[in-house]
Amino acid sequence: MNSSMTITDQMTSKKPDAELKSRVLSKIGEHKPYSCYQCIKCTSGCPSMKMLELKPHEIVALAKAGFIDELVGSGIIWTCATCLKCKERCPQAVAPVDLILALRNLAIEKEAKVPESYLHDLSMILECGHVSRPQPTITRKLEKIERDKLDLPKFRESDERFKAAFMKILEKAQSGGA
Amino acid sequence: MKMPVYWGCVIPTMQYAYEMSVREVMPRLGVELVDLDNASCCGTPVQSVNMVAAVYLAARNIAIAEKMGFTDLLAVCNGCHLSLFEAAYFLSHDEKLREQVNSMLKEEDLQYSGNVKIWHTIDFLHDQIGEDTIRKAVAQPLNGFKLAVHYGCHILRPSSIGTVDDPEDPQKLDRLIEWLGAKSIPYPEKLDCCGAMLMLSHPDAAFTFTGLKLKAVQELGVDALIDSCPSCQNMFDMRQKSAAATTGAKLNMPVIYYTQLLGLAMSIPQEKLGLNLNRSPIDEFLQKALVH
Repeated sequence: MNSSMTITDQMTSKKPDAELKSRVLSKIGEHKPYSCYQCIKCTSGCPSMKMLELKPHEIVALAKAGFIDELVGSGIIWTCATCLKCKERCPQAVAPVDLILALRNLAIEKEAKVPESYLHDLSMILECGHVSRPQPTITRKLEKIERDKLDLPKFRESDERFKAAFMKILEKAQSGGA
Repeated sequence: MKMPVYWGCVIPTMQYAYEMSVREVMPRLGVELVDLDNASCCGTPVQSVNMVAAVYLAARNIAIAEKMGFTDLLAVCNGCHLSLFEAAYFLSHDEKLREQVNSMLKEEDLQYSGNVKIWHTIDFLHDQIGEDTIRKAVAQPLNGFKLAVHYGCHILRPSSIGTVDDPEDPQKLDRLIEWLGAKSIPYPEKLDCCGAMLMLSHPDAAFTFTGLKLKAVQELGVDALIDSCPSCQNMFDMRQKSAAATTGAKLNMPVIYYTQLLGLAMSIPQEKLGLNLNRSPIDEFLQKALVH
């Protein structure tokens, strides 16, 4: 771990953060980035590489070097479509997508820049147990139809007991307990 | 056979045609569907927020099936299927996590013990219902139809936890189509992602994923694209016009759920299968299917 301490970010002159690094890596398996030999199979199959310049092998290398703050704040971690091809195809079982999700968890915890939709989904789950309530839909003939006009059982929201339990879990997670 | 079904969020709040067609075809194949009591989100959107909370949500829905006395659970959405399936894998390999999640579940008198097998529509129909039953249920074979299939990422990967079909060369949905009399046309973009999960952060990129795949499928000259995931269907069908606008492609690709296709082959009336809710241009396809 000390070997990474000699590296300096040439753009910002910042040093890597060993403590943060070990927190992120503990969530996916400490050894994992060390198994990566940069074969770039993940990046060559990554659909977000073509569209959004996501390079999973670079994320792994940067995490290994300890530049966690930079990754968490960069926005690049939100370009992953979670297609899981990198996890499937990695010859070393590194699973860059798992690292990206762990970095997203940290971004939320540190209140870094997080796409609002993720927080919206979370507040909906606390409100009704699901990411949405039934939405009106539109037929091919452009008529608006509600769920209860279709031959379907009534949609059931989760009960108060669930909402209370989930709230408790999120509060604990936010304070670093989960 | 009684089968508990977990619908997730996208199906019962947006993708009604999937729910309608599953509810129509399953009883005709001898499956009595039972809805889970007090179900909630599967955890997929929470994986980016907090992984333990996401595993808790997945485990909670499995624990409800367990409490209702079931040892199987049908998760018809790809995202939900992966979330539940992966949580089951984590919980069977990590004693500490299992204890932590079980103490969270205790708040609602639930318990996860890991005795529930998770199914998706595709492997349930293919492995459990099987070829004979499905072939016998066909009243109107779809002979002469050429179709392309889209599996969706989350039922194929990661194979390290055991998934619905082969991660690089899946065949179950292709065979399910062939049992109805139609032909499945292979194509190089078969495993490409629909882009749905990027809608939360990069909608334009998401639509580009969708548009490029639809363009490739359209160039095959097939009658329709068949899928079995509400998020993929939402992109390919409901959002096809946005995908066309974003990629600058002229798209008019019919997109249909497998359970809708199966229902058509079983001569179930179109309105019961929610076929009026598909937004892609499927009218010509339906006419051709009815002439058969």
